[in-house]
Amino acid sequence: MTPAISVTGLTRRYPDQVALDDVHLTIGTETITGLLGRNGAGKTTLLRILAGQEFPSSGSVRVLGSPPAENQNVLRRLVLVREDQVYPDFQVYPNFKVSHALRAASFCYPNWDAGLASSLLKDFGLRAGKAIKSLSRGQRSALGITIGLAARAEVTLFDEPYAGLDAVARQIFYDRLLAEYADFPRTVLLSTHLIDEAAALFENVVVIDRGRVVLDTAADGLRGMVTTVSGPVLAVDSFTQGRPVWERRGLGSQASVVMVGQVSDDDRERARSLGLDLTPLSLQQLVIRASGGSAGAGSLTMRTSA
Amino acid sequence: MNTMIKVARYHLVQPVLFVMLPLAALAFVFAVNAARGGATFRGGLAVIFVLFFGMGVQRIGRWLPFGLALGATRRSFYAGTALLGVSMSLVYGLVIAGLQAIERATGGWGQSVNFFQVPSLPLNGPWYATWLTSFVGLSLMFVYGMWYGIVNRRWGMLGLLAFLAVQVLAVLAVYSLAGLGRHFASLSALEMTGVIAGLTVVCLAGGHATIRRATV
Repeated sequence: MTPAISVTGLTRRYPDQVALDDVHLTIGTETITGLLGRNGAGKTTLLRILAGQEFPSSGSVRVLGSPPAENQNVLRRLVLVREDQVYPDFQVYPNFKVSHALRAASFCYPNWDAGLASSLLKDFGLRAGKAIKSLSRGQRSALGITIGLAARAEVTLFDEPYAGLDAVARQIFYDRLLAEYADFPRTVLLSTHLIDEAAALFENVVVIDRGRVVLDTAADGLRGMVTTVSGPVLAVDSFTQGRPVWERRGLGSQASVVMVGQVSDDDRERARSLGLDLTPLSLQQLVIRASGGSAGAGSLTMRTSA
Repeated sequence: MNTMIKVARYHLVQPVLFVMLPLAALAFVFAVNAARGGATFRGGLAVIFVLFFGMGVQRIGRWLPFGLALGATRRSFYAGTALLGVSMSLVYGLVIAGLQAIERATGGWGQSVNFFQVPSLPLNGPWYATWLTSFVGLSLMFVYGMWYGIVNRRWGMLGLLAFLAVQVLAVLAVYSLAGLGRHFASLSALEMTGVIAGLTVVCLAGGHATIRRATV
């Protein structure tokens, strides 16, 4: 089966920086993938290239089996919801309203679900008659999410879709996304900074740092893959001996070590007898380390296939 | 073709700009002219041509990003937008021709006002000639506005300066070629309309080539 998204050797250079540097990525159909990384890591550039809004400097990009740029057959089956979406809103009369944006979307997307769109507006408390230029940041996000979900596009790309949304509205988004995904499975790629909050959604996780993919793995494989071992120095050293270690901190007779690799039941038993504490790293902590946080740049390049 | 129509419909979800704005502007400038009276042509009719240029610029600057977000390609967005602009030119050309006929029949609206009859341009003949010429002229302004908007999107202010400089040079070159300037002055109304149509096609092709690598 053709993957929904297939990227090889993708590089995008700007005069002052390299936004994407030899990116290789494959995303299967009907999956939800988290696209994670710091500001300026290259997430938005990647999504714009996938949506045909930007062009690669080199490399190959295929979406639904074909290059997306200027390809009507791909683009009508794809939606990109951008945090910084520009709408045709004017500083003077006449206003471009929420209802205008939704009407335009309704005849551009063949699978558009008008019922879903209006029920999402209701959930988010967004009036259809409101002018887009007077929307708050959160309301603009709500409009983007509404378009992204109601479009029911085979490839749905969300770039920081919930900037400015409150916790209740974000929960609405997670619930609706999962419900919609169950009703009408599609390929979802979602970039976000609220990693732990969205972690339960993801089947796969891709982490980008400085234009490079530093982690590309199944989310299940990640859970429990990295563990913090803490306790008496000697016990910690003996427990972690011969295992890959990212970071080691000592404080007097106590030590704390971040250790890579699955922890077996035997390991747990041994840790208990040594008086050690085992704490699995959360997805967010993993991403911080993978993005060159305290582990140092380049010390980690994991590619696990699940 | 299908996507072209969708793009045109997208532009018309907020129809006030396209349908009402040129009429309102025309009515306003006409009222000012009529109030001042006199049979001298002061060029008030130019407002609608300037407006069509502005609409062309806006349709790229303001409407392209969301258009691409809705799954249009640059080419289909361009074609659909141009189609709509040319259709609007056809309609407004007819409006100009109709108002010119009324102006003539009523002796300048009963006040010897000369607003729609342009003495030195081919906008002074029979109604169908006026329709044709204003249609072609409005189309040129719209399509040129789109091209201007695309250059602005791709290369910003420096790009626009270069774009305008090239045009000035082209005009100077045409006029400095012996006899060519004089040749233009002696063109008949229909020949002049043909030249404007030719320029429209040039702008249409130029914009089409320029939008291919535009990004949003």
